Amino acid sequence: MKQYVLQRFLQMIVILFGTSFIIFFLFAMLPGDYIDSNINLTPQRAQELKALYGLDKPVLERYFSWLGNALHGDFGYSLKHQEKVTSLLNKYVWNSFFVAIFALLLTWSIALVTGVFSAIKQYSWFDGFVTFFVFAAMSFPSFFISLLFIKWFGVDLQILPIGGMIDTGSDSTGLAYLFEVGKHMILPVIILTLLSIGSLTRYFRTGMLEVIRQDYIRTARAKGLKERVVIFKHALKNAMLPAITLLAFELPGLFSGAIIMEQIFNWPGVGRIQLESVSFRDYPVLMAFTMFLSCLTIIGNFLADVIYAAVDPRIRLK
Amino acid sequence: MKKSLKGFVSVMALSMILSACALDSSSQQESSSSASKATKQSTSAEVKEYKATDLSALPDKAKARKDMFIAGISAPGGVFLPYFYENGWDGNATDPMFAPLVNLDEEGKPVGILAEKWDVSDDQLTYTFHLRKGLKFSDGSPLTADDVAFTLTLLHDPAYAGYQDISLAAIKGGKDYKEGKAKTIEGIKVIDKETIEITTEKVNAKSLLLLGGQVLSKAYYGKEYQYGKLDYLKELYPKPVGAGPYKFVKYVPDQEIRYVANENYYAGKPKTKNLIFKVIDTTTSLQLFETGELDYAGFSADDDTVEQLKSLGFANIQVGPVNDFGFIYVNNTRPQFKGKNVRQALIYGLDRQKIVDVKFKGYGEVANVPVSKVSWAYNEEGINKYEFNAKKAKELLDQAGWKVGKDGIREKDGKPFVVRYLTRAADDPIIPIAKENYEDIGIKFEPEIMDFNALVAKLNDKDYDLASVSTSQILDPSDPVEEFATGNPNNAAGYSNPKVDELIQKGLSTLDIEKRKGIYHDLYKELNENPPVILIHYRQSARAISGQIQGLNPDNYTGISASLPNISIKK
Repeated sequence: MKQYVLQRFLQMIVILFGTSFIIFFLFAMLPGDYIDSNINLTPQRAQELKALYGLDKPVLERYFSWLGNALHGDFGYSLKHQEKVTSLLNKYVWNSFFVAIFALLLTWSIALVTGVFSAIKQYSWFDGFVTFFVFAAMSFPSFFISLLFIKWFGVDLQILPIGGMIDTGSDSTGLAYLFEVGKHMILPVIILTLLSIGSLTRYFRTGMLEVIRQDYIRTARAKGLKERVVIFKHALKNAMLPAITLLAFELPGLFSGAIIMEQIFNWPGVGRIQLESVSFRDYPVLMAFTMFLSCLTIIGNFLADVIYAAVDPRIRLK
Repeated sequence: MKKSLKGFVSVMALSMILSACALDSSSQQESSSSASKATKQSTSAEVKEYKATDLSALPDKAKARKDMFIAGISAPGGVFLPYFYENGWDGNATDPMFAPLVNLDEEGKPVGILAEKWDVSDDQLTYTFHLRKGLKFSDGSPLTADDVAFTLTLLHDPAYAGYQDISLAAIKGGKDYKEGKAKTIEGIKVIDKETIEITTEKVNAKSLLLLGGQVLSKAYYGKEYQYGKLDYLKELYPKPVGAGPYKFVKYVPDQEIRYVANENYYAGKPKTKNLIFKVIDTTTSLQLFETGELDYAGFSADDDTVEQLKSLGFANIQVGPVNDFGFIYVNNTRPQFKGKNVRQALIYGLDRQKIVDVKFKGYGEVANVPVSKVSWAYNEEGINKYEFNAKKAKELLDQAGWKVGKDGIREKDGKPFVVRYLTRAADDPIIPIAKENYEDIGIKFEPEIMDFNALVAKLNDKDYDLASVSTSQILDPSDPVEEFATGNPNNAAGYSNPKVDELIQKGLSTLDIEKRKGIYHDLYKELNENPPVILIHYRQSARAISGQIQGLNPDNYTGISASLPNISIKK
């Protein structure tokens, strides 16, 4: 097991370097750089600025100077925000994280319960209703459903705020602050949950259906075990196994921000920063954030492999 | 100029297309959707006003505000220092805190703010600014001519990487300072505490605003200044100190910027104590205004929005022109577009009225002179309107030697007439209309959609046939036309016309607005006859002001910032 973990870990490091190389070159290949987008500059001034920002150097040289600095933990200054990339991202990424983690918890618990029950009661009215509901929720475009909810709850009923994270001009602290942010978080979390619940419910339902058709479940029932024990002790554990991989993939998603939701609800998340960095060719932000997400994806994969190996001995034996 | 960092505004900024909003509202231009550019009565532009009918309909949230004014802003970035921010919205955010020496009034004419008056020498090269007496920064320290000199010197530092290109003002000795050949700038002379004399080497009608910009405190921002090192300023970006009507309280990232009235403001403490710029998204700004979260908001003008605003009852609404225009670049360096007949044919052959109708649904007009309708230079007298006329277009193309080939596409020297059109928006109404119109006159039209930077890169390399853009806010009528001068580095159209070159030069060589009006009129007539580009639209926007707010007069040059000191709330 130890050797397996070590091996996977080393692979991970190699992949990370490869990724950083590929990402840097892909971004460098995008036509136009940060200075180009300001067309009011005289070419002379543009050249001066490119020299000041180091954009006039060859790509390979830029890559290695970026890599060297990054290894020292220095990801540079954002061109657009004129502040350290790390502090910039730190300012926004947690806002995205908190919405995402609540949405994740909600999605997984609801999906687990409804998925399992739909499977047990396959083709019942409950199953039909759940199937219809999750597909409907999944099929709505996110901006449409967001605007609809804003109209219902924000404008017509006026029980929930239209957007933002705090009340305008509010100076609340402590518990009052948490309550205020929580209130602003309700709609975004609901929307994110609605959007992602569909596929997960279906996933759990299918997984469960597959397992309860297995021979060992029939054996368990034949032993005379109670149905509850059969389902929740024997079937559920095995049905959950593939979910480990799925959960590991959620790791980068927790930090990546939900661009459309954040925009409509004015949620100060990292999604907008990321989108902006692409459109303005703000390379330091673009690189740091994409690398951060790549790291999380690779770590997520690594964790999934390790946990999977821990809970399913068949993997290790290979 | 300070708010037009980026050259183009996509008209998409106004549309409610979601995927594009983030990009557009965060780009450095002014869309009509914020605390920024707004429209007001102007000489040549009519503004429709609808008064609030029912103040009792005011939402409770708005009624509860007795000493606070809330306006919307799109996407500030938190760099609150003029000349150093990289995001146009930060420019709007710094306006209330940093007053300039000179600003533009609602008609685009210069007016003194911190400067009581200024003199320009007879050769129009030397500017003498007379500051008001007893000026103070918001921290109580005095504001003197030394601070003005410091600000201008800072912009000449070789490490300065901001948007302001002070070299355009050509201050005497500025270049030597930048290259390290001189310790001070020869052309900047502090006469006494309230007087500064600046000598330039080139007459430029736009120098006044370049020299008379926002003033930075030498004591605060210059404490650690060393030649060639400006990184220390980054520490001060979030802690602004200026001489504007409001001073900084707090920035909540991506949520709001809070200000409080500055008791040291030269014109007296503003009437409304608290000011908040709230970060909004165009998709929900109407809802925010409706529920009383905003006192002022701008919208893209369309019947639905205007009707809905009217139905609120508590809103004062203004619908008027925006200070920009939209056009299609034509690559004059390509052989097929060299003749003026062909460029004229491209205009005659395009149903621009239909494009404007589809795009702005009655809230736009076809543009025929390259300046907005709010400018003092706007004059359509004697201008050919190039009304849609496919027959005329065909004749012009025939004259230019483009004969209809076997598949209906015109050919010359064996080459078919194909134009590639670059645009940023997949739903750009020009695509279907131009495709139909141009194919009718025998030109094959191929649209290509790309993002802003890629489009600009192609424009700079002159690697395009046609490209759709829009200008940024026009502060001076010279802004949108000077690029058409031969050899101008930003001449993306590749246009060259000696008569135009001369008129552009002439337009900048005097500070007398009446003289300039005549020069620009001649220029517009020449550009009309021998068009460098295809002018497309003027657009309008709608602004809503909560009925209880008084004294707010958004204008087309400074947005709401000029009226901030006068805002009061009806009790």
